Amino acid sequence: MEKGKNTFTGGRRYRNNDITVYWKPDACVHASYCYRELIEVFDPGRRPWVDMNGSTTDRIIEVVNMCPTEALTWKWNDDEKNKEISPDQTNHVIFRRPELLTENEKVFEKNPVSVKIMMDGPIVIKGDFNFQYSGNNKEMKDGIISICRCGASNQMPFCDGTHRKIGFEDK
Amino acid sequence: METDADNKSYALVEVIDGGPLKVTGHIILKDSKKDISDSPDEVYLCRCGRSCNKPYCDESHKH
Repeated sequence: MEKGKNTFTGGRRYRNNDITVYWKPDACVHASYCYRELIEVFDPGRRPWVDMNGSTTDRIIEVVNMCPTEALTWKWNDDEKNKEISPDQTNHVIFRRPELLTENEKVFEKNPVSVKIMMDGPIVIKGDFNFQYSGNNKEMKDGIISICRCGASNQMPFCDGTHRKIGFEDK
Repeated sequence: METDADNKSYALVEVIDGGPLKVTGHIILKDSKKDISDSPDEVYLCRCGRSCNKPYCDESHKH
């Protein structure tokens, strides 16, 4: 049950094999760099208006970086590559111009919540989040929880290591 | 000065009784075994161990 694959809060996203481009319609001021530079990819008259197969990855990045409002931003699909971004990549998601961030987005940048699926083990969640279970409601600040994924823990909903004993395998 | 935004959580992690783990908000989901690196707005993760589409729930817990 995965929902919202092509949408995110405030907009839509478009992918090719290398990158994901994010579009936030509310931020667009119609400066029109995108379609004047690269109508093959950014065509406002077409639905969907972004065709990630219309040009090369390098050229799409170049044109997204021209967007003056960050209505268009991008990132590499390979997260390792997102760690080393040069300052000229102005519209990469981690190089958001501070003056354009809303208060909510500043918090977003500061506190991403990590949801990590451990190999043949639990779900480990780290960061600032609201945690609700069995009628409890906890504000987690820089918190960490480990949730059972094998169905056999004796300390539900938390992991107690039973997955090893029963040989839980995520196939 | 702290604002409301400084104090607010932007992700909600909810254990659904007898069901999956629902996670919504600003999250980064990673599963190295399944080669998943994504930032869904909402995701339901299997807790019963029986889903055929792990890490996602496929409602196998109901059967």
